[in-house]
Amino acid sequence: MRIFGLLTVLLCGGLLIYHTADFPAWGDPASPASTHLSPYYIEHSIDDTMVPNLVTAVLADYRSYDTMFETVVVFAAGIACFFLLRAAKSKTPESMLYRHIPTGITLRIEKGSKTPPDSADFERIDSVWVPYDLIIKITCRLLVPFIQLFALYVVAHGHHSPGGGFQGGVIFGAALILFALTHNLSNSLKRINEKTSALFAASGVLVYAGTGILCLLLGANFLDYSALAPLLGGDPKMAHSHGILIVEIGVAIAVMAVMVWIYYNLASRGRHDEGL
Amino acid sequence: MPLIAAFVATIAGWVNKKYCFAVAALGLTGALTSSVGLLSYVLTHGPVQYRLGGWAPPFGIAYQIDPLNALILVVIAAVALLNLLGTQRSVALEFSEKIGAFYTLYLLFVVGMLGIVSTGDAFNLFVLLEIASITGYALIGMGRDRAPLATLNYIFMGTIGASFYLLGVGYLYLITGSLNMADIAAILPQIYASKVVLFAFIFCMAGLFMKMAFFPVHGWLPNAYAYAPSAAAGLIAPLTTKVMVYAMVRIALFVFKPEFTFEQMGIGEPLVWAAVAAIVMGSLLALAQRQLKKMLAYVIVAEVGYMVGGFWLGNRAGISGAVLHIVNDAAMTLVVFMAAGNLFYRLKGDSFGALKGVFREMPVSMAAFVVGALSIIGVPPTCGFFSKWYLISGAIEAGHYGFVAALLFSSLVNAVLFFRIIEIGYFEPFTHANHHGHHQPPVRRFREVPMSMLVPLLVAAGSLILLGVFSGDLVTKVIHLALPGQIT
Repeated sequence: MRIFGLLTVLLCGGLLIYHTADFPAWGDPASPASTHLSPYYIEHSIDDTMVPNLVTAVLADYRSYDTMFETVVVFAAGIACFFLLRAAKSKTPESMLYRHIPTGITLRIEKGSKTPPDSADFERIDSVWVPYDLIIKITCRLLVPFIQLFALYVVAHGHHSPGGGFQGGVIFGAALILFALTHNLSNSLKRINEKTSALFAASGVLVYAGTGILCLLLGANFLDYSALAPLLGGDPKMAHSHGILIVEIGVAIAVMAVMVWIYYNLASRGRHDEGL
Repeated sequence: MPLIAAFVATIAGWVNKKYCFAVAALGLTGALTSSVGLLSYVLTHGPVQYRLGGWAPPFGIAYQIDPLNALILVVIAAVALLNLLGTQRSVALEFSEKIGAFYTLYLLFVVGMLGIVSTGDAFNLFVLLEIASITGYALIGMGRDRAPLATLNYIFMGTIGASFYLLGVGYLYLITGSLNMADIAAILPQIYASKVVLFAFIFCMAGLFMKMAFFPVHGWLPNAYAYAPSAAAGLIAPLTTKVMVYAMVRIALFVFKPEFTFEQMGIGEPLVWAAVAAIVMGSLLALAQRQLKKMLAYVIVAEVGYMVGGFWLGNRAGISGAVLHIVNDAAMTLVVFMAAGNLFYRLKGDSFGALKGVFREMPVSMAAFVVGALSIIGVPPTCGFFSKWYLISGAIEAGHYGFVAALLFSSLVNAVLFFRIIEIGYFEPFTHANHHGHHQPPVRRFREVPMSMLVPLLVAAGSLILLGVFSGDLVTKVIHLALPGQIT
């Protein structure tokens, strides 16, 4: 059986190498890929959309419909994770650990006993809590705002340089996950709870699809941004540029929220009680 | 261009809102009415093109609707709607906490399927394929017993299949510089001799074969469908394989021209033999099953063989038969899986032992099941007979008697399969095993499922007979229009 598998792999590999003989040469300016559609994009994208970065123009305007569905794929992944992993009801654990912050004493409270009041002095901690992580915490506290700022920059600057909604959204999500890693799950759930992240994920997709529908209502084709010109002010070309920005923001929101949502479900095996 | 606009927008819009059954049903009804409208529009006015983003096709993405995909769109929307209505209760039972998520995934799956069928862009097809696959994995993964493992298998196979397809599209882009199907089709004839085109074709087909569970690569299908939740099985089983067969037809006839696909490639003959193997093996393996849903899953493997074999016969009758069978098989599979879902809802099991005496208990569901079964066997008033007839006449025309024999053999085996179920359900006394394992005296009372589950099932079963009665019209007025003229 293994020999059979090996032979199949060798055969396929051989065929793959064999047919590359007919490939256009690497970087050949006369190859079909660079002579058929690309010249149009290169010559017209700035006139059509006022976006200097032509990758962004192709991604979010000419082939915007694909990108919308890529966002939907991300959203579907998030909701699939939730659907499969999320435990329906959280069991009350056998015991919970609380820390009295001023003294540093940890209390172990059995199931059914009285829990300490919510105050600044007590915090609930995970069963795998590591006592002192001052350096990590402070470093991250310093880093997180800058990462988030950079993420916003990447989102907004997709028009001019590499960047855009997916990248920016991932960076923003990474910042939030970094925060969750250095603190703990309950802390980050306090900042962005599950409902918020689900809502953000859905609304990100909705921003994208809604832009398309808005174009439709204004009498143009789905996702034809030039229809937005009267709303945004400026001429139809500029409206393309703004439309791209709007959908990029939608993508960023969706990607960021889905990252966080998936992280919550994976880190706590869907129970959302404790975890990193 | 007009109608699809509303249609796409409805779908895109309600995917994201606060979901519940009503929204889903409303959305699917909207999708169904607009796709029926679209079909009649296309039949009277000819193909429709919708430019997304307002860019002309080779530069932007366009939806291209002709009679072929308009027909399949109607089928998808109808199947999804009927199954949605029919499984409302079992969804509420199985996923009480996550109904919102379930319906979101359900709708996204339907969006993916509709998109695959309507798109005129080879890469867009891949993106939508991903949506349909991811949601499909999630829906199946929530099933019972070994569903997670079956899903993992499905994910591996599905991802490999999708990668192959993507690689094929990548090659096409490399060699033509375009992703639009019509544009590629216009460029390709000058470079048919190129090996890259050859391999692009092979990769696309190999990927789609995996996705449709064509015989040697069918391994993921039986477990995935057998353990899936009823509501998901009733959606995914009728649609996934059929839509993949449609994608194969689309790529092979409209991206590559028929002359290339059938004459230059010379793979028609071996593929028909592979289809023969699929039919024979699928039927035999179905015979070995002791579980209703698993048996049905193997029947699907055989049915995929019907369609692939019919298509690769390469003549008009064969291809018409294959396309007609896409429609019919979607309806038949829907009926039997919905009926199986109803049985499961009441009996909490689908091993043959649990089915004893089930006719007395659930006569209506079983009646619908019998109609579905007769159609799969191919008994005349039902639609299964007609597509099989086209397939067989296509095979005789092509002189391929192996395929004829396989079709007849499979009909025989199906007859054995389903009459065995009917016999168990009708004649064997019903025993109700309680939780302690010993048998109570036979309890025979009427325990049919609620009306909301019965009516959609009966509508679906009725559609089998209607499809059968009108299949002549369907072929001459719709399918023949859809096929390129070169095929004789």
